Amino acid sequence: MSKFVTWIDQRLPVSKFVRNHLSEYYAPKNFNFFYFFGSLALFVFILQIITGIFLTINYKPDAASAFASVEYIMRDVEWGWLIRYMHSTGASFFFIIIYLHMLRALMYGSYKKPRELLWLFGMFIFVLLMAEAFMGYLLPWGQMSYWGAQVIISLFGAIPFIGESLALWIRGDYVISDATLNRFFAFHVIALPLLLFAVIYLHIAALHTVGSNNPDGVEIKANKNPDGTPVDGIPFHPYYTVKDIFGLAVFLTIFMFVVFFMPEFGGFFLEKDNFVPADPLKTPEHIVPVWYFTPFYAILRAIPDKLGGVIAMGLAIFVLFLMPWIDRCKVKSIRYRSSTYKILLASFVISFIGLGYIGMQAPTPILTALGRAFTLIYFAFFVVLYFTSKNEKTKPVPERVTMHE
Amino acid sequence: MNKAYIFFLLGFIFSSSVFAASSSVELKPVFIDLGNKASLQRGAQIFFNNCSGCHTLQYHRYSKFVDDLSISEAMVKSNLILTTQKGGEPTKLGSTITNSINHDSIKEAFGVVPPDLTLTARSRGPEWIYTFLTSFYEDNSRPMGVNNILYPNVNMPHVLWYKEGLKTYDENNQLILKVNGQLSQKEYEQEITDLVNFLTYVSEPAQLERYSIGLWVMIFLVFFAFITYLLKIEYWRDIK
Repeated sequence: MSKFVTWIDQRLPVSKFVRNHLSEYYAPKNFNFFYFFGSLALFVFILQIITGIFLTINYKPDAASAFASVEYIMRDVEWGWLIRYMHSTGASFFFIIIYLHMLRALMYGSYKKPRELLWLFGMFIFVLLMAEAFMGYLLPWGQMSYWGAQVIISLFGAIPFIGESLALWIRGDYVISDATLNRFFAFHVIALPLLLFAVIYLHIAALHTVGSNNPDGVEIKANKNPDGTPVDGIPFHPYYTVKDIFGLAVFLTIFMFVVFFMPEFGGFFLEKDNFVPADPLKTPEHIVPVWYFTPFYAILRAIPDKLGGVIAMGLAIFVLFLMPWIDRCKVKSIRYRSSTYKILLASFVISFIGLGYIGMQAPTPILTALGRAFTLIYFAFFVVLYFTSKNEKTKPVPERVTMHE
Repeated sequence: MNKAYIFFLLGFIFSSSVFAASSSVELKPVFIDLGNKASLQRGAQIFFNNCSGCHTLQYHRYSKFVDDLSISEAMVKSNLILTTQKGGEPTKLGSTITNSINHDSIKEAFGVVPPDLTLTARSRGPEWIYTFLTSFYEDNSRPMGVNNILYPNVNMPHVLWYKEGLKTYDENNQLILKVNGQLSQKEYEQEITDLVNFLTYVSEPAQLERYSIGLWVMIFLVFFAFITYLLKIEYWRDIK
């Protein structure tokens, strides 16, 4: 066996790779609940690729047969329903995981020096993921697929001068049509997954260069044993592999419960109207994007001006990219930051959830007013943070990480 | 695509509450039990005897009834397959459930092409179908002589009127039975329940198996999570 390993290692540094990234890759020992979501996101990405391949085997990217081919998968393909539900549920869980993963970064300052690039790559993944999900949602060719895409793409038309041509260029037609379906299929199954794969690679490469942050926001590399290993670090393998397998098992229990017992999740994961084939002549009563887009959709609707709404929505995503430079506080973890930051972050999270709820509802005067208030809070988070974070009153940060059991 | 069109589209979003408010009839509850094979079989019988002439189940196959509803192949062929193929021979068991209506002429007769019903129980819900089929009443101003409380001015005739009878509004605006049908009110409601049960099965045949498989998957995963928890504890014993 060792002869074989030596033979391989002389030709490809497999052992070195395993040492560098697993058995001798040191991670802080004080990870908490929020640190499960990185490995879970990677798992769901792979799950989506695998289930996606099986779906692609039977799916037909053709406006005349797409809807029927999905029903064919649901009925006639062996275990097709399970694969399809895992893929559709996986899409929603991907966003649940990513949102919690991002919240973790906001709580513990994981975007701060030296992890700015790590955060930027993560944000690129988030944007790519939104594009991936949006294009994937067109493929079942149901009413909500069709009209959701129609509304979202027509938003590009709001951009001055080039808007109309841009929307036309994206659709490849004057309305959503077979041409749109074909190109969205191409983007969904190959172009965006390849890009995602590349950026996820960079995200992990950047992570393994600087090392993980932790709930105390202490740099473990600042405190080393005589042999050069961090005092508060433990090898990723076996410690975090066994811990992450446990996290994965708990995740799978919840995930598969949804897949088997509530795949529609009350219309949140699979919308009722999407069981009606796309009909360009019949607009549904209530066009709603899937839940993971609704916070941004609510921001769009909060602005009375159409172009203004589109800009606000774009800005809501773009401003997150700037977090490493907006938050000027040197202390990373929320554990040692001022109550100002705690209140700011709490109101940001509440406004995000509130916007998500409002984005799903038919607008009423009260909800619209509330949506505007939440939009204001959403943006105020960044503005107030920029001005308060520089001279924030922080608590003393410990030298070493702390363990809470 | 001009600006007006986008405003039109956005207008739909912003005004959707107006549309939503228009159909505020309370849906009646219906007891769905996909484990009740006899009910599903009766539902299939009602569907093929009364509905299949106009409505298709185009994503579903006859052959599915053999395993799913325990109806023998011979029985499916003799009692459920009522159509023929182009050459005149009976439709094959593996075919999807379509019919031979001519879209142009049926549109002329009814104003619309009768919708496919494979997924209606998923898009509108079982309660909707149940309420719809129990909400017909006499209305001589309509071409078919009937109207529907849930779906005003629907183009569909009250096909099952010979079973239910014909309801009408009396002078106090109360629904009363004007003409008796073959069935009592209770029997009719039971038949509609069976039919809705059948359509719910057709909308998602996987429901027949996913709960029972899911239970085993859950048992395994809970056990697996427990084992991995013990493993984690064991490995982390020395970390302080």
